[in-house]
Amino acid sequence: MLFLQVLINGILLGGVYGCAAMGFSVIWGVMNLINLAHGSMIILGAYITYIVNTTTGLDPFLTIPISGLVLFLLGFVVQKYLINLVIGGSVFMTLILTFGLDLVLINTNLFLFTADLRSITPWYSGLGWQIETLRIPFTRLGVFVFSLTLTLILFLFMNRTKLGNAIKATSFDKDAAGLVGVDILKVYAITFGIGAGMAGMTGSLISMIYSFSPVLGDTFTMKSFVIVVLGGLGSIPGAIMGGLILGIAENFASVLLEPGYKDAISFILLVVILVLRPRGILGKQFFAEVKE
Amino acid sequence: MREKVVGLVVCVAAGIFLACCPFFLNLYWLRNLTNIFMFAILTQAVNIIAGYTGYPAFGNVVFFGLGAYSTGVLMVKFHIPFAITILIGITVCLFFTLFFGIPVLRLKGHYFAIATLGLNEATRAIVDNLSDLTGGGMGLSLPLPTGDVGANNRFFYFMMYGTMMLSITVTYLISKSRFGYGCRSIRSDEEGAESMGIDTTRYKTMAWMISAALTGIAGSIYAYWMSYIEPSAVFDMTIAIKSFVMFLLGGAGTVIGPILGAFFIELISTFAWSYLLNYHIGALGLIIILVVIYMPRGFIYFLQERLSLRMFANSINEKRI
Repeated sequence: MLFLQVLINGILLGGVYGCAAMGFSVIWGVMNLINLAHGSMIILGAYITYIVNTTTGLDPFLTIPISGLVLFLLGFVVQKYLINLVIGGSVFMTLILTFGLDLVLINTNLFLFTADLRSITPWYSGLGWQIETLRIPFTRLGVFVFSLTLTLILFLFMNRTKLGNAIKATSFDKDAAGLVGVDILKVYAITFGIGAGMAGMTGSLISMIYSFSPVLGDTFTMKSFVIVVLGGLGSIPGAIMGGLILGIAENFASVLLEPGYKDAISFILLVVILVLRPRGILGKQFFAEVKE
Repeated sequence: MREKVVGLVVCVAAGIFLACCPFFLNLYWLRNLTNIFMFAILTQAVNIIAGYTGYPAFGNVVFFGLGAYSTGVLMVKFHIPFAITILIGITVCLFFTLFFGIPVLRLKGHYFAIATLGLNEATRAIVDNLSDLTGGGMGLSLPLPTGDVGANNRFFYFMMYGTMMLSITVTYLISKSRFGYGCRSIRSDEEGAESMGIDTTRYKTMAWMISAALTGIAGSIYAYWMSYIEPSAVFDMTIAIKSFVMFLLGGAGTVIGPILGAFFIELISTFAWSYLLNYHIGALGLIIILVVIYMPRGFIYFLQERLSLRMFANSINEKRI
């Protein structure tokens, strides 16, 4: 029974992890850009939910589109007016640029929301299903379902719409995409917007199950790294898969080993996977893997 | 040629000036400079593996932690003198690199970067959980150095200064040696280097070992200097990212560039700390963004292009032809 409970907890957590890594994976896969500000964007999304929830009393789940939209606009502007200026240069310079951006975001969050830990408790937070000794809290279940829905929407968008196909085409070969009339810089701006928007929406979800403060973003950036590598770069189902593996592994590690080893497990898993299967579990040949 | 002589004279003068600093600067600035030297060592170490060999060792801070904990554990639990713990710390770092280097150095680019990051986080968690030996999350208090405050500050100042000079010398020697050419050929085309008969695995592992040893020394000195260490402070990814920023902003794959980067970023953070207490993180971030946009190849190239245009217009023109 304990086994089943730990498994369920792992799966519920893994769904959110996958959703958190999604935006990171898309940005990395399409532009070969590692967005170190990803975690801070998630935290910003969480704060937007917090502010809207405390001022208007709107249900946290209904704030998801708001944080998604705000973060999309932020991401679009940042890419269009900052990152696009140096996107052709060294890969690691863009990395440093996002690090600078991360510091600015952390400082802005600290300034606007202070360093206090915040959390959101909707009225249904204590409720859940009780099946004998198994327990499934509604909030976690809702968060899980919303994570999967967001992922599905992104998946359909990337595969079924013209814009999605333009983004994919750019990720495979940006010169060829440019030749057939894709405006590369605009696609980049939209891609970063989508990545940031996904981060914002994940932030809204995370605000319901974690306490958050402006400096906790790095944890999510690190976890996104691990998940993307586990699942394979640029793959949307891979990100969910990677998230589930990480969620389950972490939960089992904290039961079977000392809780202190929880974080170590994810990183040991990471090194092992990297050495044995450098392309990840579901990874395909994607832009950043072929070229440096 | 003239450009090189002037550059050398400026560097030697700066080196002598820094060696004289302890005799007229106050303790606050000595401490700041010691801290800057420490980052210069870490940055130069990153430069050897990332700048010269092309392997972005993002998690190099793991050696900093290993060095710090070697010194800490040996001094506290086994009462071994400081100088010997530095040597043991270096040995630990070298064995760590030998053991993990061969599988991990097969990865390239971002993937190598993340694997080193994973090594750091895993090592940090293990050190955190071996509480009997390392004190775990409670940290470890080292024996305080005897003697008066001023003398101790000068001792650590010169330790870091000496190690920084060592790191510069090592990098200079590498840049001029056969080994350095081999490393650079791996950076530009690994298959090509292999087909020219370079034992790439050995070269890469050696470059990483040198980098690890330098980082380990800095960690050992840091532990004794701070006299208190904890896993979250010495295996801190912020240190790794910061030294990477310094390395890239200074100028990757040059001897002096990374040192300039370290001085620039640390001085800016110190000023930001003292004048903009609530905004210092954001101010640092803004400066990084501006530097990336206006000097995308780093300082040293920026200086070379701008200054030499005025001062050494002739030599530049000769080079272009």
